[in-house]
Amino acid sequence: MAGSILGHNSIQRRRRLELIVGLIVLAGLCLLPLVVKDVYTQNLIILTILYAGLAQAWNILGGYCGQVSLGHALYFGIGAYVSTMLYVKLGIPPTLGMFAGGLVGGLFALLVGWPCFRLSGHYYAIATVVVGEIGYLLFLNWDFIGGASGINIPFKHESLVELQFRVTKVPWLYLVIAYAGLAWIIAWIIEGSRWGYSWRAVKDDVTAARSLAVRVFPSKMAAAAISGCLTGIGGAIFAQFVGYIDPDSIMSGNLSILIALPAVLGGVGTLWGPLVGSALLIPLKELSSSYLGSSGSGLDLMIYGALIVLIALARPQGLISLLGLFRKPEGAR
Amino acid sequence: MSVSRIALGAFLLSLATPAFAADDIIIGAIYPLTGNGAQVGLDAKAAYEVEADIINGTHPKIPMLMGEGGGLKNLGGAHIKLVFADSQGDPQKARAEAERLITQEHVVAIVGSYTSATAATISQVTDRYEIPYMSADNSSPSLNQRGLKWFFRTSPHDEMFSAAMFGFFKDIGAKTGKPVKSVALFYEDSIFGTDSSNVQRKLAGAAGLTVAADIKYRANSPSLSSEAQRLKAADADVILPSSYTSDALSIVRSMNEIAYKPKAIVAQAAGFQESGFLTGAGPLAEGILSRSSFAGDAIKARPAIVPVQELFKAKQNKSLNDNTSREITALQILADAINRSGTGKPADIRTALIATDVKGIDTIMPWVGVKFDETGQNIEGTPVIQQVKDGTYVTVWPFDVATTDAVWMK
Repeated sequence: MAGSILGHNSIQRRRRLELIVGLIVLAGLCLLPLVVKDVYTQNLIILTILYAGLAQAWNILGGYCGQVSLGHALYFGIGAYVSTMLYVKLGIPPTLGMFAGGLVGGLFALLVGWPCFRLSGHYYAIATVVVGEIGYLLFLNWDFIGGASGINIPFKHESLVELQFRVTKVPWLYLVIAYAGLAWIIAWIIEGSRWGYSWRAVKDDVTAARSLAVRVFPSKMAAAAISGCLTGIGGAIFAQFVGYIDPDSIMSGNLSILIALPAVLGGVGTLWGPLVGSALLIPLKELSSSYLGSSGSGLDLMIYGALIVLIALARPQGLISLLGLFRKPEGAR
Repeated sequence: MSVSRIALGAFLLSLATPAFAADDIIIGAIYPLTGNGAQVGLDAKAAYEVEADIINGTHPKIPMLMGEGGGLKNLGGAHIKLVFADSQGDPQKARAEAERLITQEHVVAIVGSYTSATAATISQVTDRYEIPYMSADNSSPSLNQRGLKWFFRTSPHDEMFSAAMFGFFKDIGAKTGKPVKSVALFYEDSIFGTDSSNVQRKLAGAAGLTVAADIKYRANSPSLSSEAQRLKAADADVILPSSYTSDALSIVRSMNEIAYKPKAIVAQAAGFQESGFLTGAGPLAEGILSRSSFAGDAIKARPAIVPVQELFKAKQNKSLNDNTSREITALQILADAINRSGTGKPADIRTALIATDVKGIDTIMPWVGVKFDETGQNIEGTPVIQQVKDGTYVTVWPFDVATTDAVWMK
């Protein structure tokens, strides 16, 4: 009995420590614009942090709950399209529109989950690929939302509410920090909550979880809704950041992989894995293509691919396992 | 070493370099150099390098604008220097690369970019940073309709291309007494095919032609045999395909398999103009018509084609095509404007671009010329219609630049 209380205390202590580290990282990120003035590097940091948030969103379903989704580009695209359509057609600013995008993204995650969560393991993963592809094709052929031509978000004037900035990147930086911070704190709360324990039980062994009265299907649905919603918000931010969306660039299967990859490389089902994964992966991808890609030799892609293979071979548990400090919570495997 | 000797050294050094050692003029070029459109991007890179060599180098005069070499005369013989960036065909990546070229490489203008989606984001960035974007080969009609002040496009867009097709129908009907009464639209589902078909549908309506079939298909389909059946059932006077290479090959073969010989095929270039299509389809390609912005056979009307063609062949081991010819011309027009600007500053280049009035004879293109309207679109970039004869495309319309008569509905 005494042992379990001690264990409980140590978990609490570790969680408090993680929160403190999280705040320090947050503060560090917020100071970045003071140091980094170069637009290209700012772009790079914005993308990296955005992907950290997206990967964390994926991690909530794919990591904690163990439901490997390879169709997250669907929720990303839906979020992007909802907020962009609201802005371009109705003039509703994207600062509001992104929450609408997140809401619809979450709803679709539930819609997809309803039939697909009856499948398990590989079958579920394959089903999400198919659903993602169906979504891509529907959007590609839907003329009302611009079809294959996509939607152009015109630049009218400098505006914080409408997320329109002529050249400055600093507001974007703070926006993606807020986004990734939100995703992180939600993951942190989940980790310590009853939900988090149920989800991890579902991930480890469905039958055992059921025998302990864990409601498996509702657990999966809840994880999907939160994950889809956060991914949708990310999509809305991305759309406004780039200023142009089309199904090819925001709903393709490639993007689904790119959302999942940082979490997988960094450490699935861990608090810090998605952040560490994207901090390595996104700069590697962008820098190699910027500075090696212009030769057209494809060298950048080879290096990028080789490094992913290397990491996967050397640290199959994810990069985060290199750091003893951020162990997974006890009881989780 | 005394101060005076250092001063002397510095003086001698200054003599060694030309008095007006003009700085290079740096131009960015953003293309897909890896991934799906990589081959097009690599060809574009070669085309730009050939044109930069023509502008900068010393060589016998090529009979076209900027053809005498020796750099930009009004800028003390400054050389054009190109910086390439890989967009991977991704609009986000293209945007970031445009910002990198502007802020890190200090380019005074950007040329691009093959796909219309990447042009959409690059031209937004150039407008915000107030440097010219020269669209060499983006054909989406919406690009110049976005109120951008720094967007220029030498190439015709899809509306102009399709308008040329319908102009051809009218002329050839009057000439041969075999007018077009019905058309069949056949197009892939990406931005290229849908845009193209939208314009064609509109123009067919305006010309009073029946649309006998309206067939959209999934790009890179494994099979197009059911689509071929539908085309056969409709049996329109003209089939208007908008397809990339593999689909172009596939539909031509599928129609042949069901023994359907269409009366006429008039293609929206793309796959039908690729050398891969011509070799792959062989005799099946014979008689197919296609719009084009380039008429490589019009060497009498455009004497610069032969020397430029030679330079390009030496570099890339293939002939100039619809894309590479437009890319060479875009850089030529841009370099001329930079030269006329007198300063090489973006604002002056823009002013010079607006004042551009180049005659077609001074380029390698069969166009009337280059003159931009207030949206930055070249209004004199008149396309041509070509037909496959003995395995190569020859120009058959407009009749004044045609090198042979069209074989029509036999």
